[in-house]
Amino acid sequence: MSRTLIPLLALSGALWAQGPVPRPAPELKIGAAPVSNWRGRIVLLAFISTECPHCQRASGVFEQLLHEFAGKLQVAEVAFNPGADAAAFRKRFGLSFPVSLSSSDAAHDFLGIERGARLGTPQVVVIDRSGVIRAQSERLGSPILQTHDYLRELLKAIEAR
Amino acid sequence: MIDHSLVISPAAALVFHLKQGFWLYAWPMMIGFLTILGYQALSRVVTLGTTKWPVVFVLACVVSMISLFGWVTMVRGIHMIPFYGCGVGLASAMMSRVYAITLPVHPLLKMRIIRVTWRGDLDGIERLKQALRARAAAQPGTDARV
Repeated sequence: MSRTLIPLLALSGALWAQGPVPRPAPELKIGAAPVSNWRGRIVLLAFISTECPHCQRASGVFEQLLHEFAGKLQVAEVAFNPGADAAAFRKRFGLSFPVSLSSSDAAHDFLGIERGARLGTPQVVVIDRSGVIRAQSERLGSPILQTHDYLRELLKAIEAR
Repeated sequence: MIDHSLVISPAAALVFHLKQGFWLYAWPMMIGFLTILGYQALSRVVTLGTTKWPVVFVLACVVSMISLFGWVTMVRGIHMIPFYGCGVGLASAMMSRVYAITLPVHPLLKMRIIRVTWRGDLDGIERLKQALRARAAAQPGTDARV
């Protein structure tokens, strides 16, 4: 019994696990530039599905924050759903920040989540000026990290550090 | 997951959790309650037999629209089921204590106002029976039983 149970528990634990916070942000390319190029600015990074309505709504919130924290905040989105059209997504929602494409595995690796595990989108990650992840969505999504008021307070707190 | 060393104003999180609590738990309960309350009130008004058909039509339209609006705006998930059920149960329990719902003309306002007669209000029930008997007696050929 325990021979079956222990590996099963270990497997479920691995599937639920995600990278701890705070931790140094792994490297990731947004278009041609790596995320580390934005050191010195707070980075709000969102892994999205272009078809997800929550991601579409959150993109508007991120755009608003980008203007409120002009010069201090860098926003970027990474679409990892198959067949995503990043340019069309940017145009449709009037986004001024970069939206790039990535594989699902690369997104999982960045988030510190087992490859193939189900993700709730958007997966929001906030990286401070020194390149440390200070906030990250739960594996199945965190609605609080999609709300304007909470994100603004979070960014203020990171800015004040 | 948020870095716990960050000093974040609790107001934004509090507002978020209050809003979430309302939409996830309170709203399904309110919709369940209003749906049952509306349909039961409608059926009581209809069974009076004295309400004009345009009033019944408008009431039925309003009740069904409220119910459907609630369903459309409800956050649907497993968690909302007990709260929706609770709202339905509360409204059903409340309506089981209602003897009748009438629309008498208010003597001062000169307009129809909803009056609820509860099962425990024996005087109110008696008054209602007398009013119905008097109305039936005034209309020959109708059934005077109430």
